[in-house]
Amino acid sequence: MVEILLTVRNVSKQFGDLRVLNSVDLDIQKGEIIGLVGSNGAGKTTLLRLLSGVYLPSEGEIRFENGESIEKARQRIGVVPESTGLYSRLTAWENIRYHSRLYGVSDEFAWRRTSQLASPLGMTDSLARHTKGFSRGMRQKTALLRALAHSPHLLLLDEPTAGLDITSARTLKKLILKLKEEGGTVVYSTHQLAEAEQICTRIVIIHNGDIRGNGTVKDILEATQQTTLEGAYVHLTKDDARPRFEAEEKSTKISSWWRQLFTGKLPPTVRGVDESE
Amino acid sequence: MKVSKTGQRIRTIAKKELIEFARDWRTILAILVIPLLLFPVLFILFPVLLESEAEERDLMELNIEIKTNLDSSEFETYFENSKLNIMYSSLQDENLSFISEGETDELRSLTIDAILKLEKSNSTFIYSLFYLSTSEQSLESRSRILLILEEWEKVEVETRIEGAGLDIEETLDPIRYDGQYLANDVATKGEQSGMILSLFIPLVLSVWTFTSAIQPSIDMTVAEKERGTLEALLGLPCSRRELLLGKWLAVGTITAIGVALQIAGLLFAITYLASTNLFSLPSLSALSLFLLFIAVLLFAIMVVAIELAIAIRSHSVKEAGSILGPAVLFILFPALFSQVINLDNIESFWFAIPVVNVLLALRELLMDRVVFDHIFIWISTSLIYAAAAAIYASRQFKREDLVTSIS
Repeated sequence: MVEILLTVRNVSKQFGDLRVLNSVDLDIQKGEIIGLVGSNGAGKTTLLRLLSGVYLPSEGEIRFENGESIEKARQRIGVVPESTGLYSRLTAWENIRYHSRLYGVSDEFAWRRTSQLASPLGMTDSLARHTKGFSRGMRQKTALLRALAHSPHLLLLDEPTAGLDITSARTLKKLILKLKEEGGTVVYSTHQLAEAEQICTRIVIIHNGDIRGNGTVKDILEATQQTTLEGAYVHLTKDDARPRFEAEEKSTKISSWWRQLFTGKLPPTVRGVDESE
Repeated sequence: MKVSKTGQRIRTIAKKELIEFARDWRTILAILVIPLLLFPVLFILFPVLLESEAEERDLMELNIEIKTNLDSSEFETYFENSKLNIMYSSLQDENLSFISEGETDELRSLTIDAILKLEKSNSTFIYSLFYLSTSEQSLESRSRILLILEEWEKVEVETRIEGAGLDIEETLDPIRYDGQYLANDVATKGEQSGMILSLFIPLVLSVWTFTSAIQPSIDMTVAEKERGTLEALLGLPCSRRELLLGKWLAVGTITAIGVALQIAGLLFAITYLASTNLFSLPSLSALSLFLLFIAVLLFAIMVVAIELAIAIRSHSVKEAGSILGPAVLFILFPALFSQVINLDNIESFWFAIPVVNVLLALRELLMDRVVFDHIFIWISTSLIYAAAAAIYASRQFKREDLVTSIS
């Protein structure tokens, strides 16, 4: 019997005039690895932030198993944001322990769990080091250890392999697959279709705030009458992707005028070329 | 696994912030070591430095020119032992206030440190003195010459009074003070010290409380946004209020340590000055000391909450710095203003004005004046301001756009 871990019902997210997510419906089953695939600005990170409780939905609701709100269920969620969010003046272990303590987990439990997971990631010797000099790969691994130290039921990963070398990305993917074998549930955002196809049990294609595709690779290929996932993705996201937004700063007339005062104009030759083209 | 309680989470957040802070030696130096050394340097080393400079100036041999047609034997004895190398020249037929181009050049090139022009008109000696105010040597020469002329004038006056058959003392000091000026002050030495301290301690404490909280406030809020550590924190099972309280506790602790070290440095300096009889320890009752602590505490609660709110509201570290840096003027101006307010028969409303209330309270308490009406007003208004600042900070921490990128 399929067990639903998390339910997203008719969830929209609006920032000012910008509607970042439109009426998203999604059920996440226990033991799944869900790949959120989409271009920059599609709404993947916003959805992950809604799932982790950093944002509240403008409309709709998100419920954990047994109808629990996200706020109450945070204890059972582990998050690795895109920026990793490590404190450079703390050691890797101190970073992990800090979050574990806020999760209410004892240091002994967190250390036991971290030691077990650090070994396959090759991080055992680095746990006592300050994270300041860590490579991108080491930072991702530390953030992953931090997110797993309290044994979460749901792991949310935002672009975990972005900027990683091939070996590090492979190690990370192996660990995610191992988590699945142990019954863990992972929601994983990525740009890489091949990567999603490789490790995810289900793929959710997000484009301009809408879910355009949701299912196994086979389901998506059948629905779009395409032979490759890339073809299916292109088919589902034909309209132009909106750019990635930063939350708009409220700009007064004075600050706009002031900014304009110190803004140069384009050289005339360049404008001429543009116009002739 | 056991669920941690609110208090534990706040303590965990504060502890982590303090550990991170303590690992940055530059911040420790700026926020903890400098306040510790500020007053000892100001009260002990600075006077020592001034004294040694004065001694050095006294030992200087200086070159002056005296232009006169008088017989130098009339006054040269006064210049003995003055360490002035005197060059005499005759005074041409010129106005005493006139200085030639050549003389100006001599003074500007420091060949000559001062030029004294002297003549006698009937029974009066008339002089003019030229110097270069931007040269220490020239200023020192001027001051030595003026002292000599003063001494000469005194002897000359006494000689003339005696010559006229009058009594010198009766003529020069016909209205005389009977007693000692300082001994007639009924204020004790401790009270006098409290009065002197009340003129600058409130200013220094308030400005330092504000400035020492700026850097940690920025580091623990908007810098976390920039470094991307805040997003990871917001997904944890701790409320935004717990987050604010944890950070507030950390900034408050750092500020309190900074202020405590500054007071320790001040007490050390005062004790040193007291041992040299230059100054006495202020006489403060236990109640005044306790109320002083309360006043600083309430002020710190308000200031730290406001700074955290402004910092978390900012879009970048740069923006937060450029707002909070000049914002110190909002403390400095009331602090300077409250120094000139007369505390005798002061109207009670002054003790309700934000910032001014605490500064006036500090002034009163340092003078060991415990006025219960005033205490009630400044404690209640400070509590209101501190609560308002905390509510404002809490609102800022609940903003959704703390994590801004939308993708």
